[in-house]
Amino acid sequence: MATFLNTLLQNIISGPATDPFPFGETFSPKRVRGLIRIDRDLCLGCGMCRHVCAAGAINIQRNSLGWTITIWQDSCCLCRSCVTYCPMHAMSIDPNWHSAHVEEDKYKRIEQHTISYQPCARCGTPMRVMSLERAKELYAADPDIDPEEIRHLCRSCRQIRDAEQSTVCMLRSDISTAPAAEKS
Amino acid sequence: MAIEQKAGSTFNIPLGPVHVALEEPVYFDLQVEGEIIRGTTLHSGHVHRGMENLAQHRNLIMNQTLTERVCSLCSNSHAFTYAMVVENALGIKVPERAHYLRTLTEEIKRVASHLFTLAIQAHLCGFESLFMHTMEIREIMQDVKESLYGNRMNLAFNCIGGTKFDLDQECFDFLEQSLEKFMPQFREVLDIFETDPLICARIQGTGILPKEEAIRLGVVGPVARGSGLNIDVRKETPYAAYGKVDFDIVTRDGCDLYARTCVRLHEVLESVKIIKQVIRDIPEGETRVHMTHIFPSQAVARSEAPRGEVIYYIRTNSTEIPERLKWRVPSYMNWEALGVMLRNAKVADAALITNTIDPCVSCTER
Ligand code: SF4
Ligand code: SF4
Repeated sequence: MATFLNTLLQNIISGPATDPFPFGETFSPKRVRGLIRIDRDLCLGCGMCRHVCAAGAINIQRNSLGWTITIWQDSCCLCRSCVTYCPMHAMSIDPNWHSAHVEEDKYKRIEQHTISYQPCARCGTPMRVMSLERAKELYAADPDIDPEEIRHLCRSCRQIRDAEQSTVCMLRSDISTAPAAEKS
Repeated sequence: MAIEQKAGSTFNIPLGPVHVALEEPVYFDLQVEGEIIRGTTLHSGHVHRGMENLAQHRNLIMNQTLTERVCSLCSNSHAFTYAMVVENALGIKVPERAHYLRTLTEEIKRVASHLFTLAIQAHLCGFESLFMHTMEIREIMQDVKESLYGNRMNLAFNCIGGTKFDLDQECFDFLEQSLEKFMPQFREVLDIFETDPLICARIQGTGILPKEEAIRLGVVGPVARGSGLNIDVRKETPYAAYGKVDFDIVTRDGCDLYARTCVRLHEVLESVKIIKQVIRDIPEGETRVHMTHIFPSQAVARSEAPRGEVIYYIRTNSTEIPERLKWRVPSYMNWEALGVMLRNAKVADAALITNTIDPCVSCTER
């Protein structure tokens, strides 16, 4: 018993263990998962994030001009699957954990981007331009390919371009940048 | 509380279903004679969520998130064992660094889980200041989880083929600092739980589960180890990095609440020992390999969750939706032991005894 009285006494001397939040600062580690963000410059619209999201928090709506990707922050359970499986590293976690909001704002807490197709530099087919960084990464083994040029080409033109000049001659058909048909 | 009179001096007292020990629904039908419980009927099923069926309608990656929600205190054990069962079925070889990271995560969760149970035990003994103090110490581990993984409960760290991300040196430094802060405070609490006369008077000799009964009922985890059974999946079939770290199985022969409390207290020390070894020995390298193809297969995986042995079974077909996913949780095995422990106990001890198996109703009923 003596030992616990001792502990109690120390607790009284050391003051409250809780942070004075919201009137003062509180413990906010920098890796804390607050919100999921999408980098609109990187997203290819492949739909992988939606495919792995167990919470059904992601939606992708496509039309002939492009697509709209939406994350409902209130549905998201911060499982980080979308960040892990996005092939373009377009998803990231924002450590802003201040998610308290009034009831009527519950459908407004969204992250939404509308991304348009651009014409292929060769044939004019509407397509998504890949980010320069990712193009450099993908074609790193192939010095004859200019990443800046290739990222503006659609899938078929990329294959042709690849075959035409590349000494390594690798077919890069694994990533599609042409508008994919909407799955049901 | 409705009391129904039966023949003679025996009464039936309903206990529950709301908040018997923890905030989870269980319902006991106690047959009492005066103050003494003579028999118990357990009713469960209040939080059945049909999770095994849900799992058969989701793809393998979504199920990673789903299985983490089977239980809250051992959430990581479920996600971890699920990842292992898929890897076993599909023959995925996990990188060495991921094995160590998974071991680390599991032990951090175990420390937090045991401290939670111990805190609740203090609360049920009516020792509120010790409850608060234990929860305050547990908060150090919660801060560790938040700083390393970003979440406080469902860490979402495991994925099929390894871990979702890597931990850097800064994380390990923070963990080491936290352990330095944690250890002296924990030793103090350990001493209080083991020697405080008020706690000892309440828990010594209460909730007896003799060794023979423990074997007959097949109990697992700290409940089995508190009845002198030397069982631990981490030693029997080492998985992840458990084969490469040095730790002991904690057992006690007391068979009562006090023995189980001591097992949990000393397991925290063993977990800290494992965490320190992982920080020291963790190899560099990749943390995830990709799942490249899915084919018809089946597999089993088991692991030692804070409450005992968890078993997962999976049967896959050629699609990414599993044909069958089945799990057996530790509380399911320990549940029946309550019938033995409650027999001849005082009515006032019913909640305390229920807490001693560290019941996880939501994972039992999933
Ligand atoms: S997985 Fe990445 S690239 Fe694909 S749609 Fe989602 S955010 Fe865009
Ligand atoms: S973190 Fe998880 S729940 Fe949230 S959007 Fe990504 S996959 Fe969905």
